[in-house]
Amino acid sequence: MKISLKLKVNGRIHRVTVKPNEILLNVLRDRLHLTGTKYGCGIGECGACTVLLGGRAVLSCQTLAVSVAGREIATIEGLQEGSKLHPIQEAFIDEGAIQCGFCTPGMVLSAKELIDSNPDPSPEQIKDAIRGNLCRCTGYTNIIRAVQKGAEIMRNEKKGGNS
Amino acid sequence: MSNSRLISCDFEYFAPRTVNEALEFLQREGARVLAGGTDLLNNIKIDGLKAPALVYLPGVEELNYVRGDQGLKIGAAARLSDIEAHPAVVKNYSAFREAINAIGGRQIRNMATLAGNLCNGSPGADTPPILMALGASVEILFRSGPGRRESKTAALEDFFTGPKKTILEPGQLLGSVSIPEPAACSGQAFRRLARVRLDIAKINCAVYLVRAGETIERLSVFMGSVTPTPVRTPAVEKALIGKKVSVKLLQAAAARVGDDIAPIDDVRSTARYRNKVAPVLVLEALEEAWKRSGEN
Repeated sequence: MKISLKLKVNGRIHRVTVKPNEILLNVLRDRLHLTGTKYGCGIGECGACTVLLGGRAVLSCQTLAVSVAGREIATIEGLQEGSKLHPIQEAFIDEGAIQCGFCTPGMVLSAKELIDSNPDPSPEQIKDAIRGNLCRCTGYTNIIRAVQKGAEIMRNEKKGGNS
Repeated sequence: MSNSRLISCDFEYFAPRTVNEALEFLQREGARVLAGGTDLLNNIKIDGLKAPALVYLPGVEELNYVRGDQGLKIGAAARLSDIEAHPAVVKNYSAFREAINAIGGRQIRNMATLAGNLCNGSPGADTPPILMALGASVEILFRSGPGRRESKTAALEDFFTGPKKTILEPGQLLGSVSIPEPAACSGQAFRRLARVRLDIAKINCAVYLVRAGETIERLSVFMGSVTPTPVRTPAVEKALIGKKVSVKLLQAAAARVGDDIAPIDDVRSTARYRNKVAPVLVLEALEEAWKRSGEN
């Protein structure tokens, strides 16, 4: 029994028809061609499929598409404005926090949820926020630094200065 | 067939807006509640659970609440991260908050519900020990006629009947969890051991005590992953209640925990390891709870 839905992704409305058992991850990647969100484990343990739902990090591999009709979904593609990268993305590049890049979209989105509610997070708080995002390449040190750097850039931008 | 890429079995999907609607949908044969989905969808994808109908609960706004006046009442649709952040939880339920924070990562806690964690019924779940120690109870809702429902209350201590089994019958809904306000001069603690922070616990332990001067007036100690359901450890409690606290006494009491646990070898740990670390975990929790009781 197919259900017709409106999905609001990165500010745009998409009309899709899905079966109840279709997971959000596959709808984002296969129907909407937003392939920044990754399939890593499919069982909710790696965080590569992380998207923001109403600003909160959730796992799209554990989410039925039908259950998020009408909700605000943000994927990694939604972070940049035109060709201008988001400060967190800039920071990840600057700090060498990207090796293979597979975990990066999930990491950046988890970091965004953290920084949006906690503009000056400590390393401990960052570790807690990215606990659900696994990285097999970097050893996390640069990622933690990148989140701090991203937070700093965002604080400065708020103050109206540039760093 | 086990497949993590997609859900290969079909089901009907219902999104009730009220409790009565939800109870109506749950009358269907094999209907299951879907809340966060972090346990249920894996059960369907990987463990072969057949669920012909899923009833999506988070759309029932009247179940999405955390009330912190006179104790704590938590609705079935409340997400773990919202509970974790609630001012009443932060202020008065430190160990409960730590237990919630121990679960998964941020994403899991943004999706999962306390009710779902309880209904999943894992012997190693992180929330039951501290909730039981605090004297929590659950409200069970069931349909009693068209558009009518009734409720009954059960102590959380009586909620689990075996691994992944609870007293909930088909068609029944866990509506809320209630936790009494901790006494003045009380202390609470939660401890767990796991491979890494993201992992499910190998063993966990919670303590709630009420202090009178230098003695323990009331004590509840509960452990998970050492018996088929979360279990109370009366041997530890008896060794301490009414006695003047000292490091030696706490050590001796913690050492009694073996009387009440019977761990097994499983995918996460061994009986030998659990038996060895149980007294250590209990001692840490006792010391922390005692310390916190002096800070009020």
